[in-house]
Amino acid sequence: MKRLRFYRYHAYLFILPTVVGLLVFRLIPIAVSIAASFTSWDIYSPPQWIGFDNYAEMFRSPEFWQVIRRTLAFSFFFTVGVCVIGLFFAVLLNAKLPGVPFFRSLFFLPVITSVIAIGIMWDWILSPQFGILNTFLAKIWNDAELPSWLGDPKYALGALIGVYVWKSAGYQMIIYLAGLQHIPHELKEAARMDGAGPFRTFFSVTLPLLTPTLFFVLVITIIQSFHTFDITYAMTKGGPYQSTTTLSYYIYQNAFVHYRMGYASGLAYVLFFMTLLVTWANFLLKKKWVNYG
Amino acid sequence: MKRIGFLLIACFLFFGSVIGCSNAGNKKTDATGTPGAGESQNTPKSGGDAPKSNEKVKLTYFSWDPSQEKVLNEMIQKFNKENPNIEVTMQSYAPADYWPKISALAAAGNAPDVFDMSSGYVDEWASKGLLYDIQKLVDRDIKPENYFTSVFSAVRYPDKEKGDMYAFPYAWVTTVLFYNKDYFDKANLQYPNENWTWDDFLNAAKKLTVDTNGDGKPDQWGFYLYGRYAHIEPWLYQNDGDILNPDKTQFVINENGKETLQFLTDLTLKHKVSPAPKDVKGIKQEDLFPMGKVAMWVDGSFAIDNVRKVAGDKFKWGISTIPKGPHFKQQVTYGWPDSYSISKNTKHVEEAWKFILFMTGEARGAEHYQGGKVPVYKPVALSKEWLESDKQPDNKSLILEQGKYIGRNSYTKSWSEWRGYGAAEGSGLNGELDQVFDGKKSLDAAIESVTKYANEVLSRAK
Repeated sequence: MKRLRFYRYHAYLFILPTVVGLLVFRLIPIAVSIAASFTSWDIYSPPQWIGFDNYAEMFRSPEFWQVIRRTLAFSFFFTVGVCVIGLFFAVLLNAKLPGVPFFRSLFFLPVITSVIAIGIMWDWILSPQFGILNTFLAKIWNDAELPSWLGDPKYALGALIGVYVWKSAGYQMIIYLAGLQHIPHELKEAARMDGAGPFRTFFSVTLPLLTPTLFFVLVITIIQSFHTFDITYAMTKGGPYQSTTTLSYYIYQNAFVHYRMGYASGLAYVLFFMTLLVTWANFLLKKKWVNYG
Repeated sequence: MKRIGFLLIACFLFFGSVIGCSNAGNKKTDATGTPGAGESQNTPKSGGDAPKSNEKVKLTYFSWDPSQEKVLNEMIQKFNKENPNIEVTMQSYAPADYWPKISALAAAGNAPDVFDMSSGYVDEWASKGLLYDIQKLVDRDIKPENYFTSVFSAVRYPDKEKGDMYAFPYAWVTTVLFYNKDYFDKANLQYPNENWTWDDFLNAAKKLTVDTNGDGKPDQWGFYLYGRYAHIEPWLYQNDGDILNPDKTQFVINENGKETLQFLTDLTLKHKVSPAPKDVKGIKQEDLFPMGKVAMWVDGSFAIDNVRKVAGDKFKWGISTIPKGPHFKQQVTYGWPDSYSISKNTKHVEEAWKFILFMTGEARGAEHYQGGKVPVYKPVALSKEWLESDKQPDNKSLILEQGKYIGRNSYTKSWSEWRGYGAAEGSGLNGELDQVFDGKKSLDAAIESVTKYANEVLSRAK
């Protein structure tokens, strides 16, 4: 039998498609957008070099700072929501009960459903006119003035976060579930024999052993929250009066509604550094609480 | 991992230009090279001309109305059949995708030969040198008596009166007052007419705002005010008001303009005859009237199609002109044409023009203009088929009369930015007016902040 021989260059050959794809569709655009962020560019006519003007305009604009604050608020509540709710359901679904596989797929369903469909559905549910939610609430509180969930800036961001948590949490749940199943059963049994109740077992045994998974989930969720776009587009278009416009949606508005590519590229870099900073901080803090046993 | 967020965004930003690049390969250069070879016969009348060359001229046409794809394809096939030396292919995209896509293509120098052009973008595109100046072709081939030439001014540049045409209109629309005849009958009110003033309108609106189930909230509103351009501007112009200075370089709301905006604000806040934006969130604005939730509504005549589809035979309805304000001077209709443009980069101007003539002339029957779109070609517009007297509304001829009064509009460069258009509807004038109608901000404060914002945008756009 003839043996196949592998040389080192074979390996490179195999990764070539990915590398080319990465280069053409990602790295080159990244390089171009650095340059673009120093220009005034409406994409119809050639870009004009304007130095740091885009960044100066950005940092002077009160709207920009509002967007940043909103982005941070969105990220915080979304991340907490997804991490906690995902964990809650993962623990529930880790139990050996009949019907658990069914519920696992049920809770995962929103993750694979199209965002547009979810947006339209929740838009109806939350509508103040014929919305199911308000119809239901009206039965409980008879004469109360019920809020317009997506039409009132007081509630819009919260409602949007709620829907997005509902859509996303299933994914984090699956990762948690994988982490939970890696925890040796003997440890929990030992804890129980030592007299620990279910809560004590969870907080003293399960949770510490789950921290590597928690860390991973936290990092990806924060990144996900920073670039939320589609759910905003489908449900509120950044409204009412920009009260749900987060940074990535603001970038889209500037790039593809106002055709201010230079300014939008600058904003994209702000988003990039925000993500970089938070992730870096995450890795720094990791030593303090993540337990690799 | 950490870069994913950013990578996605960066990709997003440059996706358009990448598409532009990849499409470059598709465009085959014509072997003969000479533009319009064999087309030097000056009359591009359709049919009859035997093709001289065996080289087929390929044209690409972009449309922003996927719902019309079937109808347009029929037209294109007919054109291709009549002109064996030309082959037109079409691509259509919904408006939200259309503009990013076509802008990226134009930026890469690969704009399609012929494409749909909005009156709101003509100035911007013409000023950037992306559109072919068709004035000479128009002068050569168009008989003015056959066309509604009054709407041509919308596609002139740089001057709306004396400038050259950079697009050729195929249909135009106006803004009208839709009203529910059944509700008017029930309330024993006379239908709106062209002499209606704001007082007449307000009186009717008050009587038509009804709380049927007694919960203290109206179940039927007299009117629905949607704070966008086709719904605000017509009121302004019927009160001799404006939101721009005469040469459209500055955003200034004049006294009559303020009076109009105050009147419109009062409809929601003081008289409570129109629902606040937050109270109708989740319902498409164009569906409220056909659903019978409101008795009157202002929008473009193109909405007739949707009202027919949604309302069906549930109630009788008609259209009228926008009521006159106290400072009314003359009938001014807010209307605009939708047009076709030829790309500056096309190698086949004559063929492209021939295609436009075909798409805007008698070959395109009335059945191709849904509802309230008026063909620019008079013989088709004035035909019985277009009037559709067997369908609602029974007075479509009103739109034709309005054509004479099409006057001002608020389109400028960077219009979408200060107005707050589409995916940015929460910003600019739209966002400010929604805040006013929701009772979150006073009209004066809103005018102050939008004036500052809009003028920043306009000064940047110069």
